Amino acid sequence: MKRVVITGAGLITPVGAGREEFWRSLVAGQSGIAPVRSFDTSDYPVHIGAEVKAFDPAHWVRNRDPESMGRGSQLAIAAARMALDDAGLSLSAFAPRRVGISMGTTSGEPGFVEKYNDIRKAEGLDALPADLGAKYPCNVIPSNVAIELGLQGPCLMIPTACAAGNYAIGYGFDLIRTGRADLMLAGGADPFSRITYTGFARLGAIAPEKCQPFDRNRKGMVPGEGAAVLVLEPLEAALARGARIYAEVLGYGVSCDSHHMTAAHPQGDGAIRAMDMALRESGRSPDEVDYISAHGTGTPTNDRVETIAVKTLFGRRAPQVPMSSIKSMLGHTMGAASAIEAVACALALHTGVIPPTINFTEPDPDADLDYVPNTARQTNPRLVLNNAYAFGGNNASLCLARFEEAA
Amino acid sequence: MTAPRIVATGVGVISTIGAGREQFEDNLYAGCAGIGPSQMFGEEAITAEVRDFVPQTWLGTKGIRVLDRAARLLCVAAEMALSATGLKQPENAEGDPQFGLVCGTMFGSVHSITSFDWSGQTDGVKYVNPMEFPNTVINSPAGQAAIKFKLRGVNSTISAGLASGLYAIHYAAEFLRFGRASALLAGGVEELCEESFVGFRKAGVLSASGRSRPFQAGHDGMVLGEGSALLVVETEERARARGVTPLFEIAGFGSAHDAHAINAFHVRGQGAAAAMRQALEAAGLTPADIGCVIAGASGSPAADQMEWHALKEVFGPRLGELPVSAPKAAFGEAMGASGALLALCGATALRRQHAPPTAGFIGADAPLRLSAQAQPFSAHAVLVNCFGCDGNNASLVLKSV
Repeated sequence: MKRVVITGAGLITPVGAGREEFWRSLVAGQSGIAPVRSFDTSDYPVHIGAEVKAFDPAHWVRNRDPESMGRGSQLAIAAARMALDDAGLSLSAFAPRRVGISMGTTSGEPGFVEKYNDIRKAEGLDALPADLGAKYPCNVIPSNVAIELGLQGPCLMIPTACAAGNYAIGYGFDLIRTGRADLMLAGGADPFSRITYTGFARLGAIAPEKCQPFDRNRKGMVPGEGAAVLVLEPLEAALARGARIYAEVLGYGVSCDSHHMTAAHPQGDGAIRAMDMALRESGRSPDEVDYISAHGTGTPTNDRVETIAVKTLFGRRAPQVPMSSIKSMLGHTMGAASAIEAVACALALHTGVIPPTINFTEPDPDADLDYVPNTARQTNPRLVLNNAYAFGGNNASLCLARFEEAA
Repeated sequence: MTAPRIVATGVGVISTIGAGREQFEDNLYAGCAGIGPSQMFGEEAITAEVRDFVPQTWLGTKGIRVLDRAARLLCVAAEMALSATGLKQPENAEGDPQFGLVCGTMFGSVHSITSFDWSGQTDGVKYVNPMEFPNTVINSPAGQAAIKFKLRGVNSTISAGLASGLYAIHYAAEFLRFGRASALLAGGVEELCEESFVGFRKAGVLSASGRSRPFQAGHDGMVLGEGSALLVVETEERARARGVTPLFEIAGFGSAHDAHAINAFHVRGQGAAAAMRQALEAAGLTPADIGCVIAGASGSPAADQMEWHALKEVFGPRLGELPVSAPKAAFGEAMGASGALLALCGATALRRQHAPPTAGFIGADAPLRLSAQAQPFSAHAVLVNCFGCDGNNASLVLKSV
């Protein structure tokens, strides 16, 4: 089996676009959370969100009309183009059938559901445009990227909600590892949506002012949007072309709580199994992990359960393993979240710096690990886990390592 | 390392032509079609619905209320597949942590998410019922089935448009090859609902004559269907170890994207041909080894033409003597469920050594060997196709064990 490395990253996030801006913001502890602008929130009890600002779809969607597709696809195309640029790759060097894409999402293109209902309310369903239906199913996101860039290999959407990015990266990893593809673009995309916002607001899960994961006074998550795409390729190809290697993908683990649609298993059963499976597949032990990118949404339950899961798996060593949540800055970008966090993990391995959990002021007796409060830290990690959990009880952990030739 | 053989050991199916493997197969081979007036959208609408669907027949009444139609269809298929293979987790046990579900879908939760948003837009967001939020995520049927059947392993929802079901079976096979699961339910589900029906009708791709006539004279679009089919897949070694005779082998998968348009078929069919060739190569076979083709054709003229071109390219002159079956004549375009339903048709063809009838076949528009009767062949492998209008193409080769 081939070794698989990450050689490019493209992002559109609430804290900036592109690898450099994204990473600068993260290391500086900047928040992308602000009052919601994309719709009127006066009927809601909360008003903040993590939207992508100043995004010009026409700059990225060059071969088709940007308005012919939804925002999820636009964000994904932007991230994919940036990822290829970042990797210094030209697709013309590849056989098109050997280049594929795998994406994750929570809600795909919910803008078309909103449009459907807006038209239904204002004019009736007879007024629906003919092309609305074909633009909605979530598989259009990777298909739109494939069409824009001319990718003719495998093309898959894995809509496993808020853990989807890790699933999609895992699938891309599998295809490279087995030699089914020479190059995979893998990541996640999710646009801001009044539907998602309504759902979390009605569950009482949205924080009123800020996202403060693991803090004693945490009051919830903050819905966000964004996209991230990673370039995955076989190690030998990356070395042959002298590519910059951010990190190596070693393995991943997935599990299902089979407990509740929205609430995590109270003892973190599935979360523990996902981390354990990721490490086993990677041939590593919990003792070797030196950074965890937490799912860390900022809801009281998630952060408590994730802490329990890490303590159970890592035992007495748990307090020595730094674990931060970049959702404190990015909000929860849904299906894009774990892809964005995977980029953060790769860059932590590459630069030696781990990003902080901001807004951390008061430790919680129920959450007493090292959450890298407020300030980025130089720790030179070698092995990291990227955790992601989702509605449906889905859990996915991805294991990345600093690239070392003789692994 | 020799890659383990991945086999199917059980089947669950609910469709417009029957519930359960036997009824589905018998109706398929009797040439029955489930196309007819809709119970959902009024009699003038023609669909391939699961009519008079009473999930309680299989699931009892407990916990049904919270499930949307897609989740109900999926749970019925899961119940049948698990009962058939003796893998149903006992009531008081925790459940095998390595047993999971891979579910293909296209529109996913579109009805639940649209209803949820509609409530917000008409009642006001303050009055939206938060209990309805969980069903809005695209993976909710898979999540609900996991809770109901204690499926604690991988729980992936797979979306590749009309090719979702085949991608899901392939994804499950890969998980087994990597040793990430003990056994998996793999297949797909799709519910018919107002949103997808109106969307397709507005796009002008539904048959105006209300007939599903793939590859046939007068084909004028598809008839929308629904349903769910799940296979129990595991390694051959594990199946034999627990004393179960495999039904067939999942031998090879291929996928290729046309990168052409989101809502139009690439008529030359190069992606479709590439998918078929890859599937054959992955199975270690050549076109000459294939006994029959289970076509994805749904009666949409462009799609039918594309598949015909692609078949010609892969099978060359032999195509004239190769039995081809287009089962969507019987169960319509079941979207995310199609791939798994077609795979089940392929498995049945292998066992019976007869390609299933193409229901109501009245003469081909393309020179393909289709028939209203079952067509005999003698071979150990069949090819199953699923090609989507977004340019995504998938093919799967099934082999006898």
